[in-house]
Amino acid sequence: MKLQTSFLLRQFLRPEMLPSTWCAGCGLGIILNAIVQAVHFKGLDKDQVSMVSGIGCTGRMSGYVDFNTIHTTHGRAPAFATGLKMAQPEMTVIAVMGDGDAMSIGGNHLIHAMRRNIGMVAIVVNNNVYGLTGGQTSPTTPIGGHTTTAQPGSFERPLNLESLARAAGASFYARATVNHTASLIKMIERALTISGFALVEVISNCHVLYGKMNEMAEASKMIAAMDEDTQRTNPTLLRRGTLPLRLTTPSAPFWEEEPLPTEGVTEEQRTWRGVIIENKGSIDFSERYYTMLDEIKVKREESEISYG
Amino acid sequence: MAKIRRGVFEVRVYKDYCKACGLCMAWCPQDVLAEDEEGYPLTPGLSQCINCKLCERHCPDFAIEIIPPEQKEAIDV
Repeated sequence: MKLQTSFLLRQFLRPEMLPSTWCAGCGLGIILNAIVQAVHFKGLDKDQVSMVSGIGCTGRMSGYVDFNTIHTTHGRAPAFATGLKMAQPEMTVIAVMGDGDAMSIGGNHLIHAMRRNIGMVAIVVNNNVYGLTGGQTSPTTPIGGHTTTAQPGSFERPLNLESLARAAGASFYARATVNHTASLIKMIERALTISGFALVEVISNCHVLYGKMNEMAEASKMIAAMDEDTQRTNPTLLRRGTLPLRLTTPSAPFWEEEPLPTEGVTEEQRTWRGVIIENKGSIDFSERYYTMLDEIKVKREESEISYG
Repeated sequence: MAKIRRGVFEVRVYKDYCKACGLCMAWCPQDVLAEDEEGYPLTPGLSQCINCKLCERHCPDFAIEIIPPEQKEAIDV
C-alpha cells in the first residue's frame, strides 16, 4: 500500500526545499520516496533515523528529508556513518551513495565497512554514469554503453556489486530498480531489519546524460527498458542471479561472466533482479567495538586516577 | 475479489513541484492523464481512475496524488 503523498510531505520531508534540483524524471526522487515510506512502514521515529550522503546528484538527497542528516565528502559516506554508529549505537543509519561515489572514489570505505559489518543500511544508486560532472564513464557502465568519455562504447568490464558484497562479507545484499517500486520499498524495509551491513543496489535512470547517447532519451523509455531487460534476461537471472542489468543499445556486445557459487542460496532468495544474500548468523562487529570502547573508557579513568 | 471502483477518486496535481517529465502519463493504464501544451498532466479521463497509484509511485517530485473520498478530510487538514 502506497502512502499518501501529502502525508509524506508533511511528516518526513522538508517541503520548503522542494522542488528538487534533479532533472525532470530522475529516478532519485522515486528512491527518496521509497526510503521515506520504508522508514514509515518500519515504524521508526524520524529523530532516531539519520541519513548520510556523499557527493554527486545522490548527495542532494539528505537535504530533502527531515531526519538527522549529514552531507559529507566524496565517497566517505560509509566512514562518517561508521563514526555515527559508534557514537549513537541505537540510531538507524542510512548511507546513500551514487555508483561513482560508492565504487570508485569511496571504494575502499565501502569494502571496509562491509568487512567490519557495521550496522547500517547502504543504498547505492547505480545509474551507469557520473551524472553530476557531465556523463563520464563510471565503474558500472556496461560494455557497449556510450558515454561522453567513451563515445564508441565502453569496453571495460563493469563492477558487479553483488560479488563484491559476497567477498567482503556484507550481511545483506539486494538489487532493485526504480521501475519496480513496490519491491524496492520491501527490500529497503527488509534491509532496515538487519543488524549488520545491509546493501541495497538500486538501478536508476540518467536519461539526460546516459540515455540520450544510448537511444533512451526519455525517462519513461529508460525506466521501461529496465523492465524489458529484466524479462529478457529473466531465465539467466533466476538461475544465477549474477548478471547486472544491461541498459545499452540493442547492438551492444554481450559479455559472459563466471557464475557465482550458488551453495547456500535457496530458491526463494533468487529474484528476477538478482540474489538476495542474507546471512542471519553473521557477527555484528559493532557490538565488539562497543565493548572495546567501554574497556578503553574504564582504563582511561583508572589511569587518570593513578597519574592524578 | 473486491469490485473496482471508478470515478470517485480525485487526482490532484501540485504544479509548483511538477517538472513535466511525463512519467505519470506514461504509466497510467486507464488513459486518465493527458498532457497540456507545456507538458503538465491534465485529467480528462478522471471518471476512469481506478486508484492503482502507479502515477503516484513513479512521480519523482511528489507532485501528483490520488485521493480516495474516505481520506479526503484527513488530507485537507
